[in-house]
Amino acid sequence: MARIALILTLLASPAAADVAQAVDVITPAYAALADSAADLARAAAADCAPEGLRPAFQAAWDDWARIDFLRLGPVETDGRALAMAFWPDPKGSGLRAQQAALAEGAAVASDPDRFARASVAMRGFAGLERLLYPSPLQGAEAELCLLTRATAADLARMGADIAAEWPAHAELLTHPGEGNAAYLTPTEARQALYTQLVTGLSALEKNRLGRPLGTFDKPRPDRAEAVAAGRSLRNVVQSLTGMRDLALALHSPAPQTQAAFDRALDLAERLDDPVLAGVADPQRRLKVEILQQAVNSAKVAVETEIGPALGVSAGFNAQDGD
Amino acid sequence: MRLTPSLVALTLTVSPLAAVAGLVTPDAVVAHYADIAAAAYDDSVTTAQALQQAVAALVAQPSEATLGAARSAWTAARVPYQQTEAFRFGNPIVDDWEGRVNAWPLDEGLIDYVAEGTPSAEDNELAQLNVIANPDLKIGADTLDAATITPDTIRALHEAGGIEANVASGYHAIEFLLWGQDLNGTGPGAGNRPHTDYARGADCTGGNCDRRAQYLTAATDLLVADLQEMAANWAPGGAAREAVTENPQAGLNAMLTGMGSLSYGEQAGERMKLGLMLNDPEEEHDCFSDQTHLSHYYDGLGIRNVYLGSYARPDGSTVEGPSLSALVAARDPAVDQALRADLDATMAALGKLRDTAEGGMAYDQMLAPGNDAGNAAITAGIDALVAQTRNIERAVAVLGLDKIAFEGSDSLDNPDAVFQ
Repeated sequence: MARIALILTLLASPAAADVAQAVDVITPAYAALADSAADLARAAAADCAPEGLRPAFQAAWDDWARIDFLRLGPVETDGRALAMAFWPDPKGSGLRAQQAALAEGAAVASDPDRFARASVAMRGFAGLERLLYPSPLQGAEAELCLLTRATAADLARMGADIAAEWPAHAELLTHPGEGNAAYLTPTEARQALYTQLVTGLSALEKNRLGRPLGTFDKPRPDRAEAVAAGRSLRNVVQSLTGMRDLALALHSPAPQTQAAFDRALDLAERLDDPVLAGVADPQRRLKVEILQQAVNSAKVAVETEIGPALGVSAGFNAQDGD
Repeated sequence: MRLTPSLVALTLTVSPLAAVAGLVTPDAVVAHYADIAAAAYDDSVTTAQALQQAVAALVAQPSEATLGAARSAWTAARVPYQQTEAFRFGNPIVDDWEGRVNAWPLDEGLIDYVAEGTPSAEDNELAQLNVIANPDLKIGADTLDAATITPDTIRALHEAGGIEANVASGYHAIEFLLWGQDLNGTGPGAGNRPHTDYARGADCTGGNCDRRAQYLTAATDLLVADLQEMAANWAPGGAAREAVTENPQAGLNAMLTGMGSLSYGEQAGERMKLGLMLNDPEEEHDCFSDQTHLSHYYDGLGIRNVYLGSYARPDGSTVEGPSLSALVAARDPAVDQALRADLDATMAALGKLRDTAEGGMAYDQMLAPGNDAGNAAITAGIDALVAQTRNIERAVAVLGLDKIAFEGSDSLDNPDAVFQ
């Protein structure tokens, strides 16, 4: 319960916020992910029937969604961040790659090393979602089972590797200076984490909410994330929670930021629309738009309150470009 | 989305850089930056005009030779153009225009025949529109008369239905019309469109050869016109030149933003890492011609050009002048040295990638799962581009670029981003 620990820390010492405190939010988040992904793999190994696996699958994705905005350190190795939950997938690359694997008798599933190098689009939560929930994927039950087990095991492997490798990156963040090519100064470490927050909030606004919203004339409910698993909104809530925890650990007190995050989270939690299908209905659409504006306000709060306090603004990030 | 970098050293005393450097001023650096842009866009126009002539010859007399000459002209035209990509992200005038000339990836079935099962963007109802085969087009509720394919027809189709993958104009549309689809997956071979796709009468393959010729001609004419527009923007008095020279601090910011955004999010991320992680030739930048290695190489070179203030023109001459490198060196020689070393390391990696491709292992083959050598060649390029981004950020900090100006421009770009 990183959030409770954090709140207690903040109550005890309101000024104790910086890179080290931010690291203390990230470390347990990755540990939780490693645990729940391992649970999922164990459950799949015991029984690959989709219905029984869904609770473990949902729990593990909860843990990933909470920290998936962070794109530095070990998640950047071997494309892990992409492989954990490949989305958006506008050309259906994941489905195509999985279908091709099934056409070869799911041979890739019998070799973990080979599976680890397969297309990121067919792996991770996005790949497993097509195996556990209704999807266009077609194959013999035995082969679907092989693929389910291999995908869950691969997720557990990545979760374990990320958690195991994170402390080394945390060390770089908390010990900038000579001999640390990643972060020469404390400011560079702060900027790196700050950039993740701003980028993560932008992505949430533009992708998780913006894609299904489309335009008023052409809403795109099918473009929501994780529709089959029924967790489009759930991912929004988890991600907002994770980013709020990191923001307030990085700089505190930050009343504007806290208020903006709380408002966005409150709106999201009261939005009774798990897959954001309401975007196509003028009345319900408004609520999703209001949530999107609240996410934007949280980003602006971070930029106007935390950025200047740390003496940084956002650096280059993986979303620069088209 | 794009973020403006500005790690600000608030404590930095801003003294006139001229006094420190003795030689180079921000004014001179941004003016020279505009000179390089003008030269590179001029060269893009000239080489596109050569392509236009080669296309005219192909259409007039379709043969192996004229098709080969048109393909060579396309390849030559990409050399200066790709080097201009470093101007894109820092300059809204370029970024707003860029989609017309270099949009990618495309659902090529919008333009012409494609193989069955060609993947397309989600819910793109126009992915199989095939303008070349259909004089009467229905786009949503509207109809478009395409009895003759003109530059206006292509403009109307570009990003039709609000779908970015509906790329009707630019280099990649022309590339598709010259090479055709590459149906070899991650195996050897590029697109193999026969010259008879432009033949008249009974020799015509692929159907509607006259309309295909119309399309190719119109798309090439449009490319030349679009490039002329951008060259004018960088000529003396042009809007893009004014934007970077009237406020040199903003100009320096544009230079570094262009370098960093192209290096990291665009080239290393979108264009290289994604394709590698998907093992998918659909994600290859120049997927019809298999010349992705050249695109990547000249993109990298364009980034280095901006920093070193030096651009080698196709005619063999060099545009050289006051550099960003000198400006950074005057403040912090170590950062300058590190960034120059990074840029050279990137060119070494992209050079090796190019040589590997020219040596017979095409970029799409490198993407194949299990091709360790190919994967490693691409990864080396990605790693080098990511590494140089760190030192580009440090150069931003070293120059103590004006934070307020950036925030101001950011809120101009995004008027909704006002805290309430």
